[in-house]
Amino acid sequence: MVKLLWSGVVMVMLLSGCGWDGTPTRKNDFIPLTSIEIVADSPTIAVSRTIAKNTSTTLSVKGNFSGLYTSDVTDQVVWTSDTPAVAGFAVASVPNRVSGLIPGSTTLTATVGNVTATFNLTVSDATITEMTITPVNPTITKGSNMQFVVNGTFVDPATSDTTTQDLTFDASWLSSATEVATVGVTAANKGLAHAVATGTATISATFDGVTRSSLLTVTEPVLQSIAVTPANPSVLTLSSEPFKATGTYSDGSAVDLTSQVAWSSSNAGIATIASSGTASTLTQGNSTINATLDGVSGSTILKVTGGNLTGIVPSVAAITLVKGTVARISATGTFSNSTTRDITGVVAWSAANTAVTVTAPGGNLAWLNASAVTPTSVPTIITAKYGTFTATTTVTVTAPTLQSIAISQTSLDLTAGTSSRLTATGTFKDNNGTITTQDVTASADWTSSAATTASVGNAGLAKGRVSGATAGSGSATITATYGGKSASTAVTVRTRIIQSLTMSGPASAAAGNMVSFTATASYIDGTSKDVTEDATWTIDTPNVALLADSQNQPGQIVAVAPGSATFSASFGGMSKNATVIIQ
Amino acid sequence: MSHRYDITVPSLFRWRGLTKGRNAMRRTIQMIIALFLPVLLCGQVNAQHSGPYVGAFIGGNALMKAKSSDDKGTFSLTFDPALQGNAVLGWDLPPGSSAGEGRIELEYSRRSNPLDKETFAEGSFAGGGNVTAESLLLNCYGVFHDKTLWAPYLGIGAGVVRIKASDLTVAGQPLSNDSDVVFAYQVGTGIDITLTDHLSLDLGYRFFGSTRPQFTEVNGRKFYMDYLSHSAVFGLRVGF
Repeated sequence: MVKLLWSGVVMVMLLSGCGWDGTPTRKNDFIPLTSIEIVADSPTIAVSRTIAKNTSTTLSVKGNFSGLYTSDVTDQVVWTSDTPAVAGFAVASVPNRVSGLIPGSTTLTATVGNVTATFNLTVSDATITEMTITPVNPTITKGSNMQFVVNGTFVDPATSDTTTQDLTFDASWLSSATEVATVGVTAANKGLAHAVATGTATISATFDGVTRSSLLTVTEPVLQSIAVTPANPSVLTLSSEPFKATGTYSDGSAVDLTSQVAWSSSNAGIATIASSGTASTLTQGNSTINATLDGVSGSTILKVTGGNLTGIVPSVAAITLVKGTVARISATGTFSNSTTRDITGVVAWSAANTAVTVTAPGGNLAWLNASAVTPTSVPTIITAKYGTFTATTTVTVTAPTLQSIAISQTSLDLTAGTSSRLTATGTFKDNNGTITTQDVTASADWTSSAATTASVGNAGLAKGRVSGATAGSGSATITATYGGKSASTAVTVRTRIIQSLTMSGPASAAAGNMVSFTATASYIDGTSKDVTEDATWTIDTPNVALLADSQNQPGQIVAVAPGSATFSASFGGMSKNATVIIQ
Repeated sequence: MSHRYDITVPSLFRWRGLTKGRNAMRRTIQMIIALFLPVLLCGQVNAQHSGPYVGAFIGGNALMKAKSSDDKGTFSLTFDPALQGNAVLGWDLPPGSSAGEGRIELEYSRRSNPLDKETFAEGSFAGGGNVTAESLLLNCYGVFHDKTLWAPYLGIGAGVVRIKASDLTVAGQPLSNDSDVVFAYQVGTGIDITLTDHLSLDLGYRFFGSTRPQFTEVNGRKFYMDYLSHSAVFGLRVGF
């Protein structure tokens, strides 16, 4: 076996390439330039070496390198004219353009290093007899350009010779409606029209009193491409991922087309996508998300990770609640890659009858609401369902008499700017004299005697959560009232100076698993406080790991795909990072 | 053990009337086959050597087409293959060594490749001159011994190399004449054939590379070039 593997290694090495296969970009300047040749860019000029007065042409220079090769060296040339009054190089931005000024002859010289060449140019007294402009009445889209060209026909009065010259550079250009289209008038862009807005504009060129025009029609910009973002995201199964389609038009504008494009997923078994652009992931794998509009498409690859759902486990299999109370319930998904995570916000909750209802306000949060007594033998069945997977919880609702309530702590020392949770427990007695207790934190009414010093949450998951004012010290009494019974806790808020912030949690996690971190603040007076719920949590690479539920599950992340992510906690002006490796 | 050299290959020595170069090449091939055939055909393995050894190798070297670049762009250098020579001084680890079975050695090698052509944006031009690399590497090889005649090995090495661009020319015009010392590395594999308790034949392949040496062009510019080569070598190691 070792020798077999060794043979494979040898083969790989032998096939490991034969060197660079790129395209050279460097010019060979090691070979001496031995001669140059001047060529007029207009074939007509090349033959006659004559231009009409007040016209111009460009010249190019071809270099011969020791007879081995030729190359254009125009950009290295220094130009001179022995009779500048007849023709000269007057355009600084186009040094190889020679302009005829008055009738006569001149010798033009090109010099590259110590190599020279000459070109005899005649400037005639020819006058223009006809001029044409092209293209004729074109149509372009907003944002695009169109190069107009004018050619003139000249007749030399001395010889009656007729010649044709490109006058694009020598003519003066004008647009009748610059708000629709502009036209270039500089040496670098003469005759180049740019479509600014829809409409029409007449583009005119004038030379020696002769004017020719072309009607330019500008239409709406054309969609050229669609970009789908986020690009190539990794997303857990049983999740939602909103995509955005951004179209780029011929005028360079970018438009959000999310609601206009037709969305599709190449593999509906892996992910489906709604017309809004939000994809719902079902099973592991890759699916291409396409956005199409007017025959133009854009796409990205959605990678679905985290295993396929194999089962649902409720947080409690059976529970007894007092009529009128609420209790939190959750569902955990088990997945094919041996991971588990909270899917409370994903499953569909239902109750078999109206004695108990389930409300899911968002995130991974769901509440059982006990509204009517159920017969002992017929509890209400609560079902959590996703696809073909279901899990049930039986809820029995009774109506015992409330005897008293108590708060978990009789006093609370709270650092300014932090929070702590209090729980309220009710003690009940039924008709048989049986005493039972139940957590009524979420059912009680919570108040504070001095909310500016210490406030207390009184809605949803915040019930019983006492928060000390950001600055300042003082005391307050927190009262929980339920069923006409009350209990109180004395809260003292103290200002402490934070010394350090620490963060603890696992260094690694498997894709699909949910892991928890805690943040602890240490103060100068030697005390410390778990501030996991008070810290601000962020993560830098959502394709690798993302926040589980920033509202209901602070400090928790869900591993998405292999990689490394930096998880950060910020509190009291301090921050702490932890690198999490997702396997 | 001594019976291993009884086989002769008379037909291999019948070539006549060939050119000098061909004769030299064929004599080399004859020697290789004469050395290898008995080994491949015979039976038992000699005792595995441990301790110090010296060795000498010769082989063919193909320097890969090199990307070269300066502040004016990139161009390529293509080289002719050439001979190379290596000398090694090392230590065979004993069987069952805690470091594994294999050897550690110090290797000097020299390879000099003629520049065949340069390719610029305008095309290719005849080259001239040589690029010579003299390296000193520390190599570590793992050897996979079993009860057969030959044992494959695989290893890596690292060290330094002095690369000299000697009178490089482009179509007869000077390009560079300079040298540089850079980091070098090597991956090697091959087979060890134990001839006697103290003598072994090595037939190997080497992939040799370095960080990019910098040379001065005739016009004063600096250019960097790749240096990556494939080599096939054979040689003898004598243990003590």
